Amino acid sequence: MTASENSAGVTKDTVSPLLVQNLSKNYGAIEAVRNASFNLNKGEVFGLLGPNGAGKTSIISCIVTLEKPTSGSIFVGGFDVQKNPREAKRNVGFVPQEIINHGYFNVEEILSFQSGYFGLLHNRERTDYILHELRLYEHRHKKVKQLSGGMKRRLLIAKALVHSPQLLLLDEPTAGVDIELREQLWQFVKKLKAEGVTVLLTTHYLEEAEQLCDRVGLIDKGEIKMVESTQFLIDKFTGRSVRVKFRNVVAPRDFELRTGETVGDLINKEKLDVNQIEDINISEGTLEDAFRRVIYQ
Amino acid sequence: MSSNVQSEKFRGSNVKGQADLFLGPFYSLLRKEVMRFLKVSMQTILTPMVSSLLYLLIFGVSLGAYIQMKGGISYLEFLIPGLVMMGCLNNAFQNSSSSIIIAKFSGDLEDLKVAPISYTQIILAVALGGLVRGVVVGTITYVVGAIFCYFKADTVIAIHHPLWLLVFIVLGGLSFSLLGLAAAFWAKSFDQMAAVNSFILLPLMYLGGVFFSIDNLHPFWQSIARANPLIYFINGVRYGILGVSDVTPEHACVVALVTLVLMYWLAFRTLARASFLRW
Repeated sequence: MTASENSAGVTKDTVSPLLVQNLSKNYGAIEAVRNASFNLNKGEVFGLLGPNGAGKTSIISCIVTLEKPTSGSIFVGGFDVQKNPREAKRNVGFVPQEIINHGYFNVEEILSFQSGYFGLLHNRERTDYILHELRLYEHRHKKVKQLSGGMKRRLLIAKALVHSPQLLLLDEPTAGVDIELREQLWQFVKKLKAEGVTVLLTTHYLEEAEQLCDRVGLIDKGEIKMVESTQFLIDKFTGRSVRVKFRNVVAPRDFELRTGETVGDLINKEKLDVNQIEDINISEGTLEDAFRRVIYQ
Repeated sequence: MSSNVQSEKFRGSNVKGQADLFLGPFYSLLRKEVMRFLKVSMQTILTPMVSSLLYLLIFGVSLGAYIQMKGGISYLEFLIPGLVMMGCLNNAFQNSSSSIIIAKFSGDLEDLKVAPISYTQIILAVALGGLVRGVVVGTITYVVGAIFCYFKADTVIAIHHPLWLLVFIVLGGLSFSLLGLAAAFWAKSFDQMAAVNSFILLPLMYLGGVFFSIDNLHPFWQSIARANPLIYFINGVRYGILGVSDVTPEHACVVALVTLVLMYWLAFRTLARASFLRW
């Protein structure tokens, strides 16, 4: 997608909720992000995956203007975040990695302030809706320190959603949360996607990315190695593994099916005696396998 | 996550259509600043009141009996406007600086950066929040001082020039609130913030004419004292309350206005270069 701008810093093509072009971010001599480019399609869930220190949070920090890019540009809903930050930011909801305390205020007050920051002084209906959705309504009069870890994380998400953003940035939203909450959050992300919200997600949990993401960008040492659909990555970089158990043989034999190869092809290729086969177990490749292959090999 | 939601109609609606990016962020941040100090009023309002009472007891009553002031006013009367302004300026400074420092520490300063709030909106809201606290503390100090003076010296302290008083309270409160904001955004640690308090704010306060008239100083020290902007703020308030002052209110007003503009410039410049990332 080309980002041809007018004088107001607004791209002619306003379709992409997020467009990152040749983004670099240095911290002194350290290159945290190197010439990263990708764009998000409306309504998709996009995963930015990489090991610790790969540059995921630096990219998100540049999108929300917490950090200034060393070079390159970022457009949110067609607005250049450097030239027109207020217009760009009103379309973005941001869930940071770390819990925020907000010492003196309760949940309801925090969401009221947050709505106001986005220009919404009478936003009760929306905040009540979000509180119900995130199961925080009955805790709305509690201060942050009175909430459990999971509730605190849901509060971060609630804050990011009070202004109905078109783009939601989730920076490791399930880090350190239990399995039940993680699955609840996955369901919620799916619901947001169904409502048309575009989601950029960074995560260490590749199973999470595989379940949620339409496309993923693999990043390592500040460089985007690949941007592809999740299924394409799995198909291209993993094979299906086949475990065959033979009659009267204790140890099963393992084989790998290449993309496009069938079990029949395997039997012919390996000259297996079909009459001796007792059981066949086929395991699909995972995003984690693809990730390992792209990043570490 | 939960399905027991009544307001389904609101789910996909575009609430941004109702957004007021001009007043909304400013008003919300101002409300937050005021609510913050009201929630800890023991620390932000009652403590300064106790300090003022102690100053009145020690300086106004004990030592004041030995000090003669010009214009036929007692030292206790002389002291009260200075304490009013000192309370106002100090609390305006503390409100904005502690608000920003706490926000840096807890991480909610990031909320301001990622929201569509302009630097001007942040500066005005935080400065006004500090002014409100300064006015509350200043008013309480005045009331306590007036009651004290009435029972101790049988004197009623009437406000001679309420408009001048208002002008200096507003200009002073805003200036010191802006200074607090600039210091807090500049500081990269609690130590740096404490250094601003100890090496800039306190000397300015105590040498600003709260406890003495510059007319009683040696000419050399008078010229040094006149370089302290607090002399003008405090004498402006003294003129507003008592009708007497070491400097003319017009002169003091010009200095106060220039100070306010400088403080705004300093706050804006610091904010534009500051990091909003948590400590």
